[in-house]
Amino acid sequence: MPRMPKRVKFRKEMRRGRDRKATKGNYVAFGDYGLQALEGVWLTARQIEAGRIAAQHFLKRRGKIYIRVFPDKPVSKKPLEQRMGKGKADVDYWAARVKPGTMLFEIAGVSEEDAKQTFARIAMKMPVRCRFVGRRLTV
Amino acid sequence: MKVQHTLHVSRREKTGTRYARRERAAGKLPAVLYGHGKESVSLSLDHKEALKFFHSGERVFDIEVQDESVSQTVMLKDIQFDYLGTNPVHVDLTRVDMNEEVDASVELRFVGQAVGMKETGAVFSHPSSALHIRAAVKDLPDHIDVNITDLEAHHPIYASDVTLPEGIVLLTDARTTVAVVTIKAEQATETTEAEDVEGAPAQPEVITEKKEEAEDKEG
Repeated sequence: MPRMPKRVKFRKEMRRGRDRKATKGNYVAFGDYGLQALEGVWLTARQIEAGRIAAQHFLKRRGKIYIRVFPDKPVSKKPLEQRMGKGKADVDYWAARVKPGTMLFEIAGVSEEDAKQTFARIAMKMPVRCRFVGRRLTV
Repeated sequence: MKVQHTLHVSRREKTGTRYARRERAAGKLPAVLYGHGKESVSLSLDHKEALKFFHSGERVFDIEVQDESVSQTVMLKDIQFDYLGTNPVHVDLTRVDMNEEVDASVELRFVGQAVGMKETGAVFSHPSSALHIRAAVKDLPDHIDVNITDLEAHHPIYASDVTLPEGIVLLTDARTTVAVVTIKAEQATETTEAEDVEGAPAQPEVITEKKEEAEDKEG
């Protein structure tokens, strides 16, 4: 089931800019390896779900997948052939704001080779360029 | 800590974003040295050399500043990363004495194959990948080995269970989970596309709208 918030404060939201780089959520925090977005995008709930299913079909019951993004942004869209105006349209889908550097998925409990293969399958479902990363230096 | 390496550093005369970027482009890594009540000094490290040592877990170094004959012992205090979270852009070094007690984070390395991993659906995870410790600089280890061969499913290893080398005090909460083997529940994993048809709420609950309705009723 595509994800969405259970409760929201407001039904619709302004679009806002998306030209910044990630300053948080940009490192592997829970698992051993991660899939990192290299471009910014509004990642739809369907795309996240497609990635999760692709990973689960490959992994069967091995390892644990962490989904690091949540689609909490409502995106509205006017119907086809609708004239402009008459107020803001209904919510069409929910999206996660992804900035360049955002960690999308993490994985724990599998070998590096399996993690690479899993993320290759997830990356096929993502609308942005992604890269495979491990844990970073701890100080 | 076995061998203490020497970091080759040079002073940075010009500081600020523009000059730091030029340093990085030239294969250097901007750094700052402070501590022991002395003035802070802007330094420049060799990027490749520094990363080689940092990745091997070394934290304490000797440095020789160019144009200064005096050697100093320094400890890696902090690393700043770029937006991709993996490329260091700046490091903090602090002056230390070899007998001085310092607080530091030391990486954990898991040794062996856990017994619990033989069960079906077993997943090994380590919520903490480092321990916060207090030790004399000369006793600081590069990493701490954790033996997980006897680790059974649902019987986690806590921070207090980790065998620390002599002279090291654990600062991390003793009940912090270091490593655990969990068994994945069958029902939880087998979620498929078919599920999303039934019982899915079309839209989330809007909190502010509810409030307005309640106010109307009161009014």
